[in-house]
Amino acid sequence: MTARFILPLIAGSTLLMASQAFGADDTTLERGAYLARAGDCVACHTTEDGKDFAGGLAIESPFGTIYSTNISPDKDHGIGNYTEAEFAAALRDGKRADGANLYPAMPYPSYAKLTDDDVHALYVYFMDGVEPVADSAPETDLSFPFNQRWGITAWNWLFADADTFTPNTSADPLIERGRYLVEGLGHCGSCHTPRGFAEQEKTLDDSDDSYLSGADLNDWWAPSLRGGDGGDGRGVEGWSAHEIAEYLKTGRNAHATVGGEMTSVVAHSTSHLTDTDLTGIALYLKSLSANPAGENATTPDQRRTASEKTAAHLTAAKDLSDGERLYLDNCSACHLNDGKGAERVFPAIDGNSLANADNPTGLIHTILAGATPPATPTIPAQLPMPGFGWRLSDEEVATLATFVRSAWGNDGGAVTAEQVGKVRDTLKPSPLNRAPDANGRLNHDDRDPK
Amino acid sequence: MAKQQPRVDAVIVGLGWTGSIMGMELTEAGLNVLALERGADRTNEDFAYPKPADELEYGIRHTMMQKPKQAAVTIRRDLNERALPQRKLGAFLPGDGVGGAGAHWTGVLIRPTPTDLQLKSFADQAFGKGVLQDDMQIQDFGVTWDELEPHFTFFEKVCGQSGTTGNLNGEIQPGGDPFEGPRSEPYPLPALQDTQNTEMFDKAAKQLGYHPFPNPSANVSRAWTNPYGMQLGPCNYCGFCSRYGCLNYSKASPQTCILNALKQRSNFAYRTNANVTRVELAPDGKTATGVTYIDEHGEEVFQPADMVVLASYALNNVRLMLNSGIGAPYDPVARTGVVGRNYAYQIGGGIHMYFDDIEFNPFATAGATGRMFNDFSPGNFDSAQYGFIGGAKMHSSQASGTPIKTPLPKTAPKWGQGYKDALRKHYGHHMKLSMTGSVMSYRSNMLDLDPTWKDPYGMPLLRMTFDWKQNEHRLSAFMRDRLREIADVLKPDYRDESFNLEGSHFKVTSYVSTHNVGGAAMGTDPSTSAINRYLQSWDVHNVFVPGGNAFPQNFQANPTDLIGALTYWSAKKIREEYLKNPGPLMAQS
Amino acid sequence: MSQPDNTSRRAFLRNTFTLIPTVGLAGGVSLTAKAAEAPPNLSDYQPAFFKSDEWAFLLAACDRLIPGESEGKGPGALDTNVPIFIDRQMDSPYGHAERWYMQGPFVLDGSPDLGFQYPYTPRDVYQKGIALTQAYCQKQYGKRFEQLDAATRDQVLQALEANQVDFAALGETQKLEASEFFSSLLENTKEGYLADPIHGGNKHMASWKMLGFPGARASYRDWVDQHNVDYPLGPVSLTGERG
Repeated sequence: MTARFILPLIAGSTLLMASQAFGADDTTLERGAYLARAGDCVACHTTEDGKDFAGGLAIESPFGTIYSTNISPDKDHGIGNYTEAEFAAALRDGKRADGANLYPAMPYPSYAKLTDDDVHALYVYFMDGVEPVADSAPETDLSFPFNQRWGITAWNWLFADADTFTPNTSADPLIERGRYLVEGLGHCGSCHTPRGFAEQEKTLDDSDDSYLSGADLNDWWAPSLRGGDGGDGRGVEGWSAHEIAEYLKTGRNAHATVGGEMTSVVAHSTSHLTDTDLTGIALYLKSLSANPAGENATTPDQRRTASEKTAAHLTAAKDLSDGERLYLDNCSACHLNDGKGAERVFPAIDGNSLANADNPTGLIHTILAGATPPATPTIPAQLPMPGFGWRLSDEEVATLATFVRSAWGNDGGAVTAEQVGKVRDTLKPSPLNRAPDANGRLNHDDRDPK
Repeated sequence: MAKQQPRVDAVIVGLGWTGSIMGMELTEAGLNVLALERGADRTNEDFAYPKPADELEYGIRHTMMQKPKQAAVTIRRDLNERALPQRKLGAFLPGDGVGGAGAHWTGVLIRPTPTDLQLKSFADQAFGKGVLQDDMQIQDFGVTWDELEPHFTFFEKVCGQSGTTGNLNGEIQPGGDPFEGPRSEPYPLPALQDTQNTEMFDKAAKQLGYHPFPNPSANVSRAWTNPYGMQLGPCNYCGFCSRYGCLNYSKASPQTCILNALKQRSNFAYRTNANVTRVELAPDGKTATGVTYIDEHGEEVFQPADMVVLASYALNNVRLMLNSGIGAPYDPVARTGVVGRNYAYQIGGGIHMYFDDIEFNPFATAGATGRMFNDFSPGNFDSAQYGFIGGAKMHSSQASGTPIKTPLPKTAPKWGQGYKDALRKHYGHHMKLSMTGSVMSYRSNMLDLDPTWKDPYGMPLLRMTFDWKQNEHRLSAFMRDRLREIADVLKPDYRDESFNLEGSHFKVTSYVSTHNVGGAAMGTDPSTSAINRYLQSWDVHNVFVPGGNAFPQNFQANPTDLIGALTYWSAKKIREEYLKNPGPLMAQS
Repeated sequence: MSQPDNTSRRAFLRNTFTLIPTVGLAGGVSLTAKAAEAPPNLSDYQPAFFKSDEWAFLLAACDRLIPGESEGKGPGALDTNVPIFIDRQMDSPYGHAERWYMQGPFVLDGSPDLGFQYPYTPRDVYQKGIALTQAYCQKQYGKRFEQLDAATRDQVLQALEANQVDFAALGETQKLEASEFFSSLLENTKEGYLADPIHGGNKHMASWKMLGFPGARASYRDWVDQHNVDYPLGPVSLTGERG
């Protein structure tokens, strides 16, 4: 297979065909391409309009803006001169070929788990399957002390784990495959494991119960992925392994539709994984005991009763609070009075992790800016949620969000207009939060010939 | 010298339902396919809640419809009248932009009956000589129910058709249409919920011995994921359906049902604001070499292609054939030629009823809510004794409660305090009984090129010659009497009616129907059809013309299901035979 | 065989994969809610299209076509800013006949059933229609339309409606008829009265409240099967105004 052929597959979602056809006697290069999907390399190493793997994406970090690098095989601008050993050191140890440390925005603490075989396949892919791009990505320029790359050595010593993955031979091999993907290439913990004082993930594997137990990303709540029993029954805990796999494959299932940064993860990475790998991931997540229910946690029965009460009140449509009225005027068309939405199409708000998160920023952002699910190879449909920033004032969004967070079985806290205002300030114009044109012009009508 | 684009395997003119279907089928066959759409791009984002809920823009100003500026039709009622351009839209509302009329249709997705497809054979057998008008030129479609059935079934899954099955493999099912042709599978989804008027109509119709059933609907009753992985949300009865994009993504359209899946394919591309003016032919006139279009900068571009699919609106497909010299133009005097022949339409009529004490909440509705009965479709009753052929779908559909279109009794004041009082009194207290009738084809109902008026690119406009004929007047009178009987059962406080009866002529000024069909009819005889039974031009074998243009006359229901099924039927033949051995798929014996 | 130009498809894919703009990235435009924008008072409004004498006619005519509370229940055209709606429509694609086929020749002796054929946009129709009606009022009553009492204004409007005012005799050359001008005026008045307030009329959704039309809520899944029951909720406009 030539590089020419591989590239369109990466650019488009036709990779489905490649992954479906994936079998034992496929080439190392194809396996490398698949693993690059699993690692979602493209997410950080490609800009919105840029060429694949040419780098240059600005990544906000607590230390400042970090620019991803060109990892195409261009000899001057990319990694074309890397030996396989240098490539492996970058992946697993965060060491550049010149010996300098990479910033840990690169998830090398996770990639450290990669087997030699997989590193080799990735190397073959990046050298032979990726088009070289002769563009330099912008240099990362952090302020002191974060511009001192040597400091990362100490960080690495403290927090990074250099061991490659060792499968537990007594465990189900499918679950072990899932664990390998989750801990390693999937680097799920980067977002879903809470971080410690030095922005390190508290744990890089399931040896600790904080692993994948959910994390506040400041602008978004990355929910717990611990899907076993023992919690309050919400979130992934209430999903079957099949439903988890379906979510990763299609971006939606009977309970939820993907939102926030995870949209891109599903689009670029998980929707291209084989059903077997997705099942492995799902079974592994179901093997992790759930976060224990808090003292004030509600029971499913209590939540069900509360849900029915809200639904009945909204349907009767009498003596409504402002929040209820705002819900009926803006949300119920899709999410319906029972807050359950429609399976696989409109996500439920009742029990939604974003609606119940301690930090309401993600919910506010979704109300203001809207959201579009990813077009995945198996579910290319995109039924976007409009933004309501043009329609609702800060006070109204706060009232609405407060209602949504307390309605049905939800128990998130109140939201203030100030919180909404802060999120509003970050919005960019997009077709989804555009006000209707009084002359009915649609998004593309500006180009109509006169 | 026109700019030239790189050659493609197939070029599709128009990206509505038929263009999208052909796009899926031909890309699946491995072809590089390019679609050219003369309107703007349209995606689900354009229809995000609550933007479509603007009656003035979409319901009244027709913002989503074709712009007469770009493509007017001139109209006359008979061969001797001077045709005049329809300067603003009125009687019919073709779509514009990606999705075409499929983005703003009502969403009634109903099959014809097996008899409708073979109407000429039926007429020959059931009507004695001299019963029917002698200028009628009805024909069989050239394709049978059994041939099309799998394609109806698939298209209905693409659309998430909602309804109640009436005939499953020959077994009559309770609650459905006992007159429907045998379905191989039940409706994909259950029927929509009933509105107040639906319940009343159902009861009255049953009392009179009819067999009402829920309107077959492409407004989906439940969330639906179709065979392409495309999704529809459950209809929430928002009341903005016909003429509007769907704000709940509940109405089957190219956008909701096909386009994202198609756009994912690397061998598909489309260009918008690309107005195809003609199909270019090789010197021998037997094959097309591609199409010429005007791009968004007003430049003329030649797009070479091995195959051309005319997938624009029925009227424009005919115009493109005429402007390109594909097939012999129809001459109604010499009765020769085929392109422009057998243009037909649809006839409507109804009784408005007002009930002072019943609250209909007319805003809570979908385009396709309601019930109908088929007791008066051809073959289900003896129309020969009334001197007409054809039939009507009898229904009560509550299309919308949008206020500008509020119907008021004819006697109500049109303005002043009396108007305001009437608005207040009657809004929400109205229901309608309707008939949607078939229209036969006739010698002088036809399409050709207008000798006077041109479009902005210098191409002649299409000229339509059309009027209601005696057969349709008789049909209207018969159906009116039946609807009156239903109204008598329901006993409204006030009623008025409008039907096209003897002496009435076609008017372009108010809406009639956007079921303009025929003009490039399909068939098995090249002397009476412009395209063969696989929708392939008899004369230029690499031109296919899917669309309502293929109907040799109209039947009494909505055309979209048949258009979709015919397109899949044509695509199957293209994939299985034509691509292996390009040439005429039927011999011109 | 060359691949078709895939710009559009790439744009689609890019769109598909575009990250949700995250909070914390460089901020941009502060998008504000539209509902907060209060509709103007008719008396403060400066028409953009109509000249002051035309505006006076329009106010006087709308007031008769849909009179205000003084004559009976329900808001009137002036209470609901209908003239503002019409003024704004004059500068919309509709007012300019932007989407219509306006190429000649204009054949003026065809059947009215074939639709309008004069070379006028709605802007032209108003300018000419108002001037001709004023000429008629001067001739008939020696006054401008807006100077007539209500009953006489009604008579003039009735005469226009019945096409009893001979526009051609007053100088019209392109066969614009009084009844056509009247029906445009009436149609636009009703539109302004009943359309979403985003278009400038139906101030505070007053007509919708009168009718019981819930506006742009567009969500009745739980109501469609509640038959013959009064719907309890007031309307909401496109921009989110609640009534």
